[in-house]
Amino acid sequence: MSTFTSRDIIHVDPSICKGCDHCTSVCPTRAIHGTIGEKHRIDHRKCVNCGQCLINCPFGAISDLSALDTLVQALNDPNKYVVIQVAPAVRVALGEEFGMQPGTNVKGKMFAALRQLGFDQVYDTEFAADLTIMEEGTELIHRIYNYAGVAGFEESGPLPQFTSCCPAWIKYAEDRYPHILPHISSAKSPQQMFGAIAKTYAAQKLDVDPAKMYSVSVMPCTAKKYECDRPEFIASGYKDVDVVITTRELANLIKQQGIDFRNLNDEEADRLIGSSTGAATIFGVTGGVMEAALRTAYELLSGKTLGKIEFKKVRGLKPIREATVEIPVKDLGVTVPVNVCIVHGLKHVNGIIEDVLAGRSKYHFIEVMNCPGGCINGGGQPIRHEMYA
Amino acid sequence: MNANAKVLKHSGQTRTMHWLHLIVCILLALTGIGFYWDINWINNLFGGPANASIVHRWSAVIFVLGPLLYILFNFERFSRFVDTISNFTKDDFGWIKTMGGYIPFIKVDEVPPQDKYNAGQKVLGGLIIIGCLLMIITGFPMWVWRGVVAPGFLAFCYNIHFWTSIILILLVLGHFFLAAIHPKSRVEFSAMMIDGYVDADITAEHNEKWYATLKEVE
Repeated sequence: MSTFTSRDIIHVDPSICKGCDHCTSVCPTRAIHGTIGEKHRIDHRKCVNCGQCLINCPFGAISDLSALDTLVQALNDPNKYVVIQVAPAVRVALGEEFGMQPGTNVKGKMFAALRQLGFDQVYDTEFAADLTIMEEGTELIHRIYNYAGVAGFEESGPLPQFTSCCPAWIKYAEDRYPHILPHISSAKSPQQMFGAIAKTYAAQKLDVDPAKMYSVSVMPCTAKKYECDRPEFIASGYKDVDVVITTRELANLIKQQGIDFRNLNDEEADRLIGSSTGAATIFGVTGGVMEAALRTAYELLSGKTLGKIEFKKVRGLKPIREATVEIPVKDLGVTVPVNVCIVHGLKHVNGIIEDVLAGRSKYHFIEVMNCPGGCINGGGQPIRHEMYA
Repeated sequence: MNANAKVLKHSGQTRTMHWLHLIVCILLALTGIGFYWDINWINNLFGGPANASIVHRWSAVIFVLGPLLYILFNFERFSRFVDTISNFTKDDFGWIKTMGGYIPFIKVDEVPPQDKYNAGQKVLGGLIIIGCLLMIITGFPMWVWRGVVAPGFLAFCYNIHFWTSIILILLVLGHFFLAAIHPKSRVEFSAMMIDGYVDADITAEHNEKWYATLKEVE
C-alpha cells in the first residue's frame, strides 16, 4: 500500500546536487537514491515529505514545492477572504530569518506582519491544538474504557493509541505498517482541525461564504503541504486548508513586501478562533503533544489537576523516552498506570510498531514525530549553517 | 668528479613515489572534475559518476598511503627534503626575482646559486605538501563522516577541497611545463622520470650550492 500524492513536495535540483550523500543519512525512509559523486534523486513513493534532507543539504540543492505565488494572487483578489493560522513552532524560528537569535519569540511582530501582508483574519493554530488535545485525550480515555471492558465503549479503538499530528508519521504508517492504522488517533492534526473550523464555524460567525474563504497555514513542516491536499480534508465541501507555506516562505514574503519586521509593534491574533489556553504551545517539541493530551485525560478521568509528569528521561534528544503515569479513574474507583512512550525520528519507531502488532507492547499511549526534537526542527524551518552537528 | 660525469639526484624509491603520485593525481583530478562538474565523457571513462567516485576515493587512499610509506622507509631523506625546502635564503629570493631566468620577458644578468632544489621547486614542494594535507584533512570527513558532520561543516570541507584542488592542478600543470616542456629546465626530466641521474655540468649550473657540497664530500 502506498499513499501516492499527486504533487511531489520535495525535489532535488540535479544541477546543484554535488552528490555529497549527506541527505541519505537524514532521510528516515531511505527514499533518496544515489551514492557519493552521483546526483541524488527522491523516490516519491517512499518519501514522507518531511524535508529533513532539504534543511540538511550542504549545497541548498533540495527544495519544496512552493505555493507562494498562488497565495499572493489570493491576497490580491478582492473576492477572496483570506484567513491564516500560524503553528506554535513558527514564532520561535521566524526571527532567525531577520537576524534575531534562534528561539526569540516574535509572535507579536509576526501577527503584525501578517496583517500588513493583507490577511483578513490572523489566527493562531494553538486554538486548534487545544481542540486536538481534547480530542486525543478523550479518545485515549475511550480506548482505556474499552480495554477495561466498560460498557458503551466497544466501538473505541485498541490500545496503545498513537498520536496523529505528524503527517510524515501518518504517511509512513500507511505506507509501511497499514495494520497499525486502527491504533492511530482518529483526531485530525491541529492544522486540519483549524481549516475545517475556519470554513464552517468561523465562516458562519464572520458571515463569509466558505467558497470565498481562502485558508492559509504557516507551518514549520513541509509534510503539511502534502497533508492539506489529502482528499478527506473537505469538511465544508471545500478544501479545509487551501495552501500551506513554511516559516521560510513567510519570511521571504515579508521581505519581498519590504516590511521592516524587526521594528514592528507587537499585535495579537484575532479573537474568534485565535485564543488559546497556552497548553498547546509545547506541541512543537517532542513530548509536547503527549504531555498536553495526558494532562487532559488525567483531569477528565480523575477530576483533579495533574502536576508535573516525571518522565524517566526528561525532555531532550533521546529518540525513545518512556514514563508511567498513575491516573486515578473516578468512575471505576481504581488507579490505572498509563505507560507512555515518546519517539522522535521515524528510524526509531519500527521496533515499537512491531511490538504493538505482535501484542507485546507495554505502552498505552505513544507519541510519534518524524523530525529530530519535534516540529521545532521541521523541514520548513529556517536553514541554519552551523559548523557543528 | 669530471664535468661529463652524472650526479644521482633522485633515488629509486623517490622516483617510484613520484610516479605513483603522478598517476594517482591524474586519476584524482580527472574523476574529481568529472563528477563535481558532471562532465559525462569523463565520468563515462570510469563507468559513470558513481564509479568515478569509487575510483576517486580509492585513489585517495593510495594518495595517502604511498607517500606515508615512502616517508616511513625514507625518513632521513624526507627530513632533508623538508629541511632544504624550508631553508629559504637570500639567493632563493634572488631566484624568485629573476624567476630563475625561465621567463622570457624578465631580463636576467645572473641567477643566484641554488641548492639541490631551486627556489621555485622549494615553493612548489611546500605548497604541494600543504595542499595534500588539506585535501586529506577535508576529504576524510567528506567520505567517512559525511552522514554525521553538520551540513555547514561538510560544505566548508567541499569548498576547501575544491579550491585546494584547483590550486594544486594549476601548480602541477606549471610544474609539468617547466619539468617536461621548457627547453631550459626539461634537462632534468629524465632524472625524476627515468634513471635518477642529471649531468654534472647541468647540476653545477642549476644547483651550484648543492654541487659544491657534493664536490666537498668527494
